[in-house]
Amino acid sequence: MKVEPLLYGDKKVFTVAGFNRGVADWLARLPTIWIEGEVTELRRSPNWGSVFFTLKDPDDGACLPASIPRRTFDALKLNLVEGERIHVLGRPELFAAKGEFRLRALSLERFGLGEHLAAIERLKQTLSAEGLFDASRKRSLPRFPRRIGLVTGSDAAARRDVISTIQVRFPPARVLVAETLVQGPRAAAGIVEALEALSREPGIDVIVLTRGGGSFDDLLPFSDERVVRAVASCAVPVVSAVGHEQDTPLCDLAADVRASTPTAAGKLVVPDFEALRVELTRARSSLERCVRRTTERERERLARTRSALERGARATLARDHRRVTTLGERLRRGPVLLLERRRSAIERAEGRLTALSPRATLGRGYAIVRSADAVLRTTAGLSAGAAVEVELAEGSFGARVEDVRE
Amino acid sequence: MSELTFEIAQKELEQIVERLERGEAELDEAIALWERGEELLRFCLTRLETAEGRIEELAQRAASTAPLPPDAEPG
Repeated sequence: MKVEPLLYGDKKVFTVAGFNRGVADWLARLPTIWIEGEVTELRRSPNWGSVFFTLKDPDDGACLPASIPRRTFDALKLNLVEGERIHVLGRPELFAAKGEFRLRALSLERFGLGEHLAAIERLKQTLSAEGLFDASRKRSLPRFPRRIGLVTGSDAAARRDVISTIQVRFPPARVLVAETLVQGPRAAAGIVEALEALSREPGIDVIVLTRGGGSFDDLLPFSDERVVRAVASCAVPVVSAVGHEQDTPLCDLAADVRASTPTAAGKLVVPDFEALRVELTRARSSLERCVRRTTERERERLARTRSALERGARATLARDHRRVTTLGERLRRGPVLLLERRRSAIERAEGRLTALSPRATLGRGYAIVRSADAVLRTTAGLSAGAAVEVELAEGSFGARVEDVRE
Repeated sequence: MSELTFEIAQKELEQIVERLERGEAELDEAIALWERGEELLRFCLTRLETAEGRIEELAQRAASTAPLPPDAEPG
């Protein structure tokens, strides 16, 4: 239906109704399309012909009011809850009476498994390209965490498994639990908040993020981009133990360590107390053996050194003893030899003396004649009648010269 | 004047003996040397006896005590 303006001179003026109808007609020519968003502000009343809700863009929060015929909505039996992601088939519409723009839905679907998988795969590619899952980002777990943070559901079996494993394995461990929703549309935000709250706590050295097995939908929050990023950027190392072995939510890839079960996660974050005790005991006895062996070896060496010392002292003493004894013998022999030599020299001298003595000549019959005490060697000066003294070998006598011959 | 030690005494004794054995000394001097020699010899022997006594004493004490008593080890 063509909308005709009123004419005021050369100015064309439309009525409100006319304008609305015109825009509505124009909008009605747009094609029917699928739109993806989260359900919020879902309002249904048996008195209304339509069910109203707002589609919200999960990324930037942009909103789109929408309506769907109540009969259509009820026939779908979707049991939609707030925050669920849906695909809506519809076309834009202007509610002419109020000038309100909205999406008129012909049908809607819960965001299906296939779509979820594709979305997760896309996110995985993006985050992987960012390097969020790189092995180089993985931190090693502390061997003795002061406190262990645990993000888990309020009544989860997973929670019990982690805590009891930790307590059995390492009784002194301290665990701080942050409870959160672990499924449904509000779970992702709750998990992120719990992670952040725990990493602000003093002494938390590692965080375990756990949830038991569940349906694909149940585990979806653990592949939510916010959760994955929060795990990757957490201030302390994160162990992820979500779902069963075969499930691989994206938070598993971003975590520093992935555990196949909550029990495995408990084993990863604390050392085995008993094994530790055995190891320490073994180390101590090995240490003791080492010390004893060293002491024993040193004792033997000392003993050997001491007997060498004693032998040395005795040998030195013996040597000095021999030297001194020999010196003593030589000392006593020296003077005796000296005296012997002197004596024989004197005896030799005596012999020579005896041999040279004039008495020996007298003994052979010679006589010594002296005149006035001088030995006579010539007759010169001698006259008859002179008195002389004659000495023989034995005795002497006085005589007178009878005559003198030339 | 430094105190007489075993080594000095032994050295002097050696010199005296050598001198006496060469037979060069005057008789009176030789007698005096002998006297000095005997004196040094006595000194050396006394010293040796004392040393021997000490060695025996130490050896006996060593035999009756271990270098480190076993109960001194860390328990």
